[in-house]
Amino acid sequence: MRRLLIILSFIICHLSFSVAQEKIILLNEGMWQADNGRITYFENGQVVSNQWFRDRNGYKLGDTPNDIIQVNENLIAIAINWSNIVQFITPDGRAVAATEDIPNNRRLCSDGQYVYVTSYGHECLTTSGYRYFTKGFVAKIDLRNFQTVAVCEVGYEPEGIALYKGRLFIANTGGYAEQEYDHNFETTVSIVNAATMQLERNIDTYVPNLYGEMSQSGRYLCINSPGDYYEVPPCGLIFDCEKALAGSDCFVKFNYPVTYNTTTLDGKFLAIGSAFSYITGGYQFSYLTIDPRVMIETRGQSGLSQTLPGTLKTDFANMSQPYGIYLNPYTGYIYGTDAGSFEGAGFLYQWSPAGQFLGKHKVYINPGHFLAIPPDGYWSSLTEIKNEKLNIKSDVIYDLQGRRLPSLPKGGRNIYIVNGKKMFNKQ
Amino acid sequence: MNYELKKYYLQTILAIVLTFAAIASVSAQNPKSPQPSLGEESPDSVRQLYEVTVTSKQPMRTIATSQTMSGADLQALSTTSVADALKYFAGVQIKDYGGLGGLKTINVRSLGAQHVGVYVDGIRITNAQNGTVDLGKFSLTSMESVSLYNANKLDYCQSASEYASGATVYLQTRRPTHDSLSVQLRNASFHTWMAKANGQFNWRGWQGFIDGEYCSSRGDYPFRYHSEYEDTIGRRANSDIRYGRIEGALFRGGFSSHIYYYDSERGCPGGIVRRLSDKYTNVGREWDRDFFVQASYQERFFKKVLFKVNSKYTNEYLRYCTKYPENQNTARVDNHYRQQDVYGALCAAYMPWNWLSLSSSYDARYSILRADLKRFEDVKRVDQKLVFAAQVNWHNIQAAASVLHQRYSDWTFANTGAADPLDRWTPAVSLAYTFYDITLRGWYKEIFRAPTLNDLYYTQVGNRNLKPEETKQWNVGIEYSNVKWSMFNGQCSMNIQADAYINKIENRIVCLPLKGTYTWSMMNYGYTFCRGLNATIKGHYQTGPWKFSLLNSITWQHDVDRTDPEDEDMYDKPICYSPTFSTGVTAIAGWRTLQFTTSYLYVGERMWSKADPEDILEPYHNIDMKLSYTHNIKKTSLGLCLEVCDVLDIQYEHLPRYPMPGRNYKLTLSFGI
Repeated sequence: MRRLLIILSFIICHLSFSVAQEKIILLNEGMWQADNGRITYFENGQVVSNQWFRDRNGYKLGDTPNDIIQVNENLIAIAINWSNIVQFITPDGRAVAATEDIPNNRRLCSDGQYVYVTSYGHECLTTSGYRYFTKGFVAKIDLRNFQTVAVCEVGYEPEGIALYKGRLFIANTGGYAEQEYDHNFETTVSIVNAATMQLERNIDTYVPNLYGEMSQSGRYLCINSPGDYYEVPPCGLIFDCEKALAGSDCFVKFNYPVTYNTTTLDGKFLAIGSAFSYITGGYQFSYLTIDPRVMIETRGQSGLSQTLPGTLKTDFANMSQPYGIYLNPYTGYIYGTDAGSFEGAGFLYQWSPAGQFLGKHKVYINPGHFLAIPPDGYWSSLTEIKNEKLNIKSDVIYDLQGRRLPSLPKGGRNIYIVNGKKMFNKQ
Repeated sequence: MNYELKKYYLQTILAIVLTFAAIASVSAQNPKSPQPSLGEESPDSVRQLYEVTVTSKQPMRTIATSQTMSGADLQALSTTSVADALKYFAGVQIKDYGGLGGLKTINVRSLGAQHVGVYVDGIRITNAQNGTVDLGKFSLTSMESVSLYNANKLDYCQSASEYASGATVYLQTRRPTHDSLSVQLRNASFHTWMAKANGQFNWRGWQGFIDGEYCSSRGDYPFRYHSEYEDTIGRRANSDIRYGRIEGALFRGGFSSHIYYYDSERGCPGGIVRRLSDKYTNVGREWDRDFFVQASYQERFFKKVLFKVNSKYTNEYLRYCTKYPENQNTARVDNHYRQQDVYGALCAAYMPWNWLSLSSSYDARYSILRADLKRFEDVKRVDQKLVFAAQVNWHNIQAAASVLHQRYSDWTFANTGAADPLDRWTPAVSLAYTFYDITLRGWYKEIFRAPTLNDLYYTQVGNRNLKPEETKQWNVGIEYSNVKWSMFNGQCSMNIQADAYINKIENRIVCLPLKGTYTWSMMNYGYTFCRGLNATIKGHYQTGPWKFSLLNSITWQHDVDRTDPEDEDMYDKPICYSPTFSTGVTAIAGWRTLQFTTSYLYVGERMWSKADPEDILEPYHNIDMKLSYTHNIKKTSLGLCLEVCDVLDIQYEHLPRYPMPGRNYKLTLSFGI
């Protein structure tokens, strides 16, 4: 009997460990000026807490959290826009540091040692004093002391930010252009040297207002342009960072917005576009799967299909207010959010990697920004491999921000996800 | 002006002329019909002018659901503005962003602030821009009474505009009875200073006054949020205000006029949110300059015909500025909004027999809104209203019915284009039966609010396809009134009323973030269903030099969302900011010129979001006290008044993260001749 129990326990343990552990941190923006930004922690098909930050720290997160990224093994960064705070937490949710040196912060990216933050603001406190800007800027936070060590002025109201080969790619929106008289919508992607924080180039995309999620798949970026909401219609861009660095034609435009987008395990983009015009007062949705490599190679002739895996398209179409899409870079499970009526709780939807609907979970107000935690659940269980021993297909390497990389970068001491396992690059 | 509009004008004017012709001919055919009993009418004089005051006792009055606070009761309240007085009325919810400068709007029976029409001497205060009236801009010192009517007021001769809102607040200015001059000086908490002067006269049938006020306040009150998740202490920033107000009125018989100017500058404080320091706060500032001049004339012809003309010109200016180097959080703008409004109304009532009154009114308003917003073009609106109403007062039965036609036409060169004209008929009926001193009443009213110019045209928000927000109200009530009796050598009087009601609101106009664009737009969204009970009790007792008053209002309300039956989380759930229970009690004790007032207000728990049961505004108790004494020496008087507001220092909220000031003091010195 005892032996049977041991065998049964072993089988149960084995079964439970063989199920993919889904661990998602979800930012609920809350309502503006109500100080009710919240974090939902979701694990293995259930919401563990809709106020995870409060549970862990005993105080509130702040007003309108706008972005969340994995920085390194021990840190997660959150941009809390209306609180003017960049908050650092450990993967188990404990607050470790916060800075308000970067007001009106928007989006984040990191190389593991520094965090780069875009801001709509015009001033920044750095280690060498206050710096002031006419337009928006990018700030570089040193994780050794959580201070801003360098800044670089880019376009007006810079939004999305991504790192590729030591360069920061920043999508400028000029989003205040509808209210401010001194500038129009921006149409550029700024390239900034991450080491020197010097602006290298502005690449004109000829489409205004590069606003929305900006997913990265290796060398490719998926950029949204909602247009000017009046005459200029929305569109999407696939941007090739490699070509941009080489100085050649580097983007392809297509006539669908990609308001919410995410990167798949095979390097494609899934996107939900929402086109709105104040003239017609109506909006149109589009649901896209984009192969960026094919799009760039064929100059937009192919690589774009109006499909989503499984039932995603139907499920999104039935939502009240789609508010985000995310694919877990470790497991391939897909997530989407519905903001509902904006007055009540939003919902988190979960699909299998094939797009089979798995469940709908009540979260909090305006859920929109995701981060997956590695499935093994042990942050110390790193697999250390040296670069020269690696023989890995290029389409299964991700950084901790969930961005697909073309190959394991040489140099640096960073953590990557290779074939679903975390690896520490010691070289 | 387009052809359609011209045609409509002609048709309307023709209808009015025909109505008058019919009235005149019927009048000529019935020369001996009995005199209608109208207020304080004198049958000997055809020149007698019939002022309609909200405190007068009219036979039809109990048919309407109304609450009035007037005279000594009104002045005894610890209040600075009209909004402070209205919060003691049943069925009223106040929205107040806190402090002296915060916007104060009222919501009656959960219809929404834009369904509440506010009238000064019978003429509506308009704001075509956002449709709401900031009640903080109106002082109580020049008011004779403040009244709230659910549905219609039901006077014999009313303008069409008075039928056009879900609930109406009437501010009746006081007609001076003697010459006087008074000055007041006040010092209050949070660095507040106020000076006020009032001069009034009554000369050969003419009455008038001039009232001026200047106030300055830093509004830097301390606040504290103490809960399981925070202990935040701070001082309200950017909450200062400076304003000046000067107004005058002139009356003679049926003629009344009013001129008003208000000038203010204020900071716009934000919600209290998590910050690491006080480094970044809201810095937006607002300037207002409001001017209006209005006149009204009422006359009786052929003993049976009442005729009234209303006219008004309004000029409003608003500047909102965030263009400051300290502003890191929002777009830096410096916008100016200018709105002008010309209004005229013709009303006529005919009473062929003393039990029947027929009336009609045509109102027209022309509004123009200019703003230097990007992509914004001038918007012009012509708003026309026509009403036909009948009232019956036969034995113990009172009945009233009206149909109101409203037509809104807009013009603009904005690239979104103008909204389609809005053209609707809406009915209202009331029925009451009186026996002894008890009246049983029931009424039904259908009305809509047209989308405001903000809703339709503002850059990056406006939606020209909006439909009007429609309301339907049902009410049954009982009123026990005008009961007087003697007790302990004194006189008692009492009035009790209770009403049960149901409201439905469809196509609510709300501002929602758009799907996926992170911009906002006005939308028609939602359907709410509200059931409630209102009750008020008023009692007065006077014996010798002693006077006592007790005023009590009780509201119970169940206000739910009925938008989407398939949405389990929202459907049939309470509407945000709507308390289930609230009550107010005001007790006044006076001995000669010494007076002590205590006002108590309880507002129950309210949800502020439906996302989490924790998202509630705590119930609160608020107690205000006021002690005043006036010393008269011959014709001069010297007064001293001490007020303590929020005695319990409960720092409640009307909106989450907008704390109210907590306990504060006011000391006022007054001198009058």
